[in-house]
Amino acid sequence: MPAMVTLYHWEPNANSGKPMLALAEKGVEYQSHYLDLLRFDQHQPEYLRINPDGTIPAMVHGDRVLTESTPMMEYIDEAFPGPPLRPSDPRERWRMRWWMRFFDAYFAPSLSMIGWSIFIGPAARQRDPAELQAAIERIPLESRRIAWRKALYNQFSEQELTESRRRVLFATGVLEEHLSRHTYICGDSYSLGDVNGFNLGYALPLSQPDRCNDQKTPHIMEWLRKIYERPATRATWAKGRTQMASRVKILERSGAAQRDSGNA
Amino acid sequence: MLELYHWEPNIFFLKPLVALAEKGTSYSASYFDPTKFEQFGAQFPANAESALQLEREGPVLVSDDAIITGSFFLLEYIAEALPGPALLPTDPYERYRAHAWGQTIALSLASPVTTLGCARHLAPLLRSRPAQPLRTQIAAIEPLERRAAWMALLEGDEASAVVAAHAQLPGPVGRIEAALESSPWLTGSQYSIADIDAFAMLSPLPELAPSLVSASASPHIMAFLQRMHSRPAVRTALALSRTGRPAEAFVPGPEASRWG
Repeated sequence: MPAMVTLYHWEPNANSGKPMLALAEKGVEYQSHYLDLLRFDQHQPEYLRINPDGTIPAMVHGDRVLTESTPMMEYIDEAFPGPPLRPSDPRERWRMRWWMRFFDAYFAPSLSMIGWSIFIGPAARQRDPAELQAAIERIPLESRRIAWRKALYNQFSEQELTESRRRVLFATGVLEEHLSRHTYICGDSYSLGDVNGFNLGYALPLSQPDRCNDQKTPHIMEWLRKIYERPATRATWAKGRTQMASRVKILERSGAAQRDSGNA
Repeated sequence: MLELYHWEPNIFFLKPLVALAEKGTSYSASYFDPTKFEQFGAQFPANAESALQLEREGPVLVSDDAIITGSFFLLEYIAEALPGPALLPTDPYERYRAHAWGQTIALSLASPVTTLGCARHLAPLLRSRPAQPLRTQIAAIEPLERRAAWMALLEGDEASAVVAAHAQLPGPVGRIEAALESSPWLTGSQYSIADIDAFAMLSPLPELAPSLVSASASPHIMAFLQRMHSRPAVRTALALSRTGRPAEAFVPGPEASRWG
């Protein structure tokens, strides 16, 4: 009997969505453990026994534990049958990795800094301050503790936010330029680079409507819509439980109506 | 046709030199001096992706028409594309661990190591040069991210950066020490590109952070560095130094996480 796969994840979004979508593309059944990131489920003792760092997602395959979402996707492609999600040409595979790092280390931190300052920080601050404080103190990694504190108490300086907005604009331009010459991140073949980019960018037309739209970034829009039409993407985003995942509906081809209601 | 553009065998530049020697690959080598900004010259291979240099500065591998950057990505490319001894484990989980180490080292170790190395070696070198031509050269660097990294060496708050870098080191160094306690190589029993990667970024630390990386504080890392030094490929790579002082050769590395 093949070893069972268990995935500990939050919404189909950012890091959690990467293995969810990769597993769906490969047609791998998995046992799903939903953790509410904003209720700090990932810092509870039962989860820390799986991943002592308290970061999500984590995947358990038999007795193997994987906790880094981007390398985890490469493992998923390698360890399971199904359509290949990495180019076989090593140069194209380099391109895939370059773009995944660009998304993970350059684009995503700036985008999420803006998102946290506007949406998640204010929402979290509705909670009891003492409870919030205690929740932060339970975070195992110091670097994550600092990041959460910054996010929850909105300790981003105006200078940092301005720099993040500049980077989002710049990165959006780099991506639009690339997709004006290639259907997918690695040319004509759909790959983990696209899986990664979609998780980062599916809500861009909603969160950054002035920067990402049919006029300014038509190639990004087409790329996002094409990925959204894939059955694996539909199935994965259907697992979302909150408003966050339903933002993906902005990508319906008849999206104008949703866009209007989304902004209302 | 494989061409490697590299500088002294230290940090990012050391990695592909070791891996290519392990593979026994013949390649054409172009030595350049990044402190003289030769990597921004018109003759230097570049495209939109390579110009961004996510690591800021480093080696460039040109394979036919592809320009490959990112020092761990070079290792992955060398391991996967070239014939010769295997440099990635055969088991998918151990391969995952190799990729994950590359990511951990790039995102949490490279920044503090290069910050400390630049403060110790590169900043004094730059300050010894005539100020105005240097500033003009740096002001012309594109993109902004790479220009800012160089400018920070002249104008930044070096003392704070060094304090922050020392605070960032124990996490990743502790992880590597713990992993090497249970197995000789980072992914387990098989030598891999993760070891080359770790070797290149840990080697400067006995000098730059002796309280953290020393025989008493991290005996398994010290034994690992010794094991690496005994490999013929490492000796071959280190012998490519032209200055005779490769351990002093530093360039700006990736920025620290902007989230804290």
